[in-house]
Amino acid sequence: MKTFYHSTQEYQEIIQEKLTNKQLRENLKTAMDTLKNNRKNLINARYTKWSDLREEGRRVKLKALTHLDALLRRFEENATKNGIKVHWASDAKEANEIIYNLMQEKKVTSILKGKSMASEEIHLNAFLKQKGLDAIETDLGELIIQLIDETPVHIVVPAVHKNRYEIGEIFQEKLGASLESQPEKLNEIARKHLRKEFKTFKMGLTGANFAIADEGAIWLVENEGNGRMTSTACDIHVAICGIEKVVESFEDASILGTLLVPSATGAPITCYNNIITSPRKEGEKDGPREVHVILLDNNRSNMLNDRNFFKSLSCIRCGTCLNHCPVYDKIGGHAYLSTYPGPIGEVISPQLFGLNNCAPMLDLCSLCGRCSEVCPVKIPLAELIRDLRSEKVGQGYGKVLGYKKEVKNSIEQFLMSGFAKNATCGKKWRSVLWLAKNLGGMGKIFHRFIPILNKWTKYRNYPKIDANLHSEIKKLQGVIYE
Amino acid sequence: MKVYFFATCLGSIAYSSACVNAIKLLQYAGFEVVFKKDQTCCGQPSYNSGYFEETRKVALYNMDLFNEDYPIVLPSGSCAGMMKHDYCELFEGHPEYQRAKEFSQRVFEVSEFLDLHSDIKLQDKGEPTRITWHSNCHALRVAKCIPSAKKLLRQLKNVTLVELEKEEECCGFGGTFSVKEPEISNAMVMEKVKDIQSRKVDYLVAGDGGCLLNISGKMQKMGLDIKSMHLYDFLAQRIGIN
Repeated sequence: MKTFYHSTQEYQEIIQEKLTNKQLRENLKTAMDTLKNNRKNLINARYTKWSDLREEGRRVKLKALTHLDALLRRFEENATKNGIKVHWASDAKEANEIIYNLMQEKKVTSILKGKSMASEEIHLNAFLKQKGLDAIETDLGELIIQLIDETPVHIVVPAVHKNRYEIGEIFQEKLGASLESQPEKLNEIARKHLRKEFKTFKMGLTGANFAIADEGAIWLVENEGNGRMTSTACDIHVAICGIEKVVESFEDASILGTLLVPSATGAPITCYNNIITSPRKEGEKDGPREVHVILLDNNRSNMLNDRNFFKSLSCIRCGTCLNHCPVYDKIGGHAYLSTYPGPIGEVISPQLFGLNNCAPMLDLCSLCGRCSEVCPVKIPLAELIRDLRSEKVGQGYGKVLGYKKEVKNSIEQFLMSGFAKNATCGKKWRSVLWLAKNLGGMGKIFHRFIPILNKWTKYRNYPKIDANLHSEIKKLQGVIYE
Repeated sequence: MKVYFFATCLGSIAYSSACVNAIKLLQYAGFEVVFKKDQTCCGQPSYNSGYFEETRKVALYNMDLFNEDYPIVLPSGSCAGMMKHDYCELFEGHPEYQRAKEFSQRVFEVSEFLDLHSDIKLQDKGEPTRITWHSNCHALRVAKCIPSAKKLLRQLKNVTLVELEKEEECCGFGGTFSVKEPEISNAMVMEKVKDIQSRKVDYLVAGDGGCLLNISGKMQKMGLDIKSMHLYDFLAQRIGIN
């Protein structure tokens, strides 16, 4: 699949567009505040050892990542024994082709989809459309955005940027439903629309939250029941699963499951946990007759090889870093111009799709560190964003995809090298202070014409520059000035 | 006991009164302050932009400069976090790692140092007032020195501290972030100001020059009459040593 280069200009344009969209800002703020509060209240009320649980989660994922090769082989072996067909896809193209070939083989022209970010990552829907095939989204949020031809704005809540009135209008326009705004009524419209699809479809595709190596099973977490319908009502179930989703045992997966749900929505448990261990067996009344699992690499092996960035493969896709990010709730996910937005997106998108394709997204972070603070598996997200900036300026380890193609900013390089020269020489530094003191007044008059400074004063008053600390200190009694 | 005072770059350029007052507070608590005239910056501007090589040079310069075994005390949680925590990260896998680690253990933010290493008693001489407090992200999550700052403020009997609803949310400064992404930064500081306005206070107090520059600059541009003050200016004023 072709990856598109996004320039700084492109980023700036979409950011400006999103920032000025009042409705979007309002919707995002309301939704993010609700998700944050629900999480906080739940953790305070029910999880007395949340920090210990996070530590356990971190340990489970790092343990799995350090033995990923062996775990994947064990998963394949056990899943195959259970009658599941395991496929390996090294990149997006291969994954798409596996799905396409299965559809051809089974003579299927449409598939039903549960929610899956991996399928977004490989641009499956667009691929199938090109081939004249249909993929129908069954997750409520995914259905809404599919109707208006958008991509998910959030990892967990794909249509969180739309409020219920807007959704009512979308359903009226696209599904011919009566205009509604009550969540129950909206659900009813979606349910009626989808039920007929569930009755007739032969192939369903989902993601996978966890793959359990010891049992050869996959575990799907969802809230609406559509995942269960997609994985059981159809004759063929295909699950697309990033290779990093494999853990050793059910015990390990349950630790992650216990962290996932409160982090994602602030609910203690989900309505549906679907554990798929095999296709329908003799005498069983339901379930798919065939189960396929596609293990997707798509540059994850490369990520795994970096001694620092491999930690980002611990992500369990709960989205809580997005919910807590003060940048995400101002601009929304589309402004990141990548499948994965927000803090985790800034860390994994450059690694999955190439640093040179989405480097400007690394600037969409004030390094406030809140994402690292809330991440249930303790991925040091803010630190990794800073480390990726180092890769971007050419001072990293050079293992990130697209590292060599990234064009360096020579003006910034010049400024930073000048900064280091001045900050490592007391005399030079005092000259800088002297300049600040003596030119500070001019800045007040000419700030509009001075690059960088005008970016500051566009929204804030010109600061008071005193820069006379040394003379003040010399006047202070009892201070040793040496 | 001797302590090094590190004013930081913003302290030297825009907050000299806060530095002077922080020094007076340290003296009031019984410490002898050493001010190195060759002091510069902690290195955050280059570090946060990913220029690690340049930053290592600045860090090594600081390690050489503050070479005696005195505590290094600075009036900024952000820079304290950089020198306490990030210096170690910066030298991970480098021969200077152990040196960075030892150095970092001598670094304290002023309020943290006063709280942990003195028995300072602040006698409030001011009129009753209502203030609110902004927590700097780096001070909160990296240096973890906010509880000390609040403890000092709570010693002031005529000061009512009204907490912000979204105290832990970034004000949008983020060093170079504020000029690299001015539009997003503005959206962030707008929300911070809205929160401050809702508290009906006389002062906004913060312990970090960057955030203060950002929030007060925005409030001035908006023409608001909420005053903003650096923590050490505020404390010194309340106890009458400014």
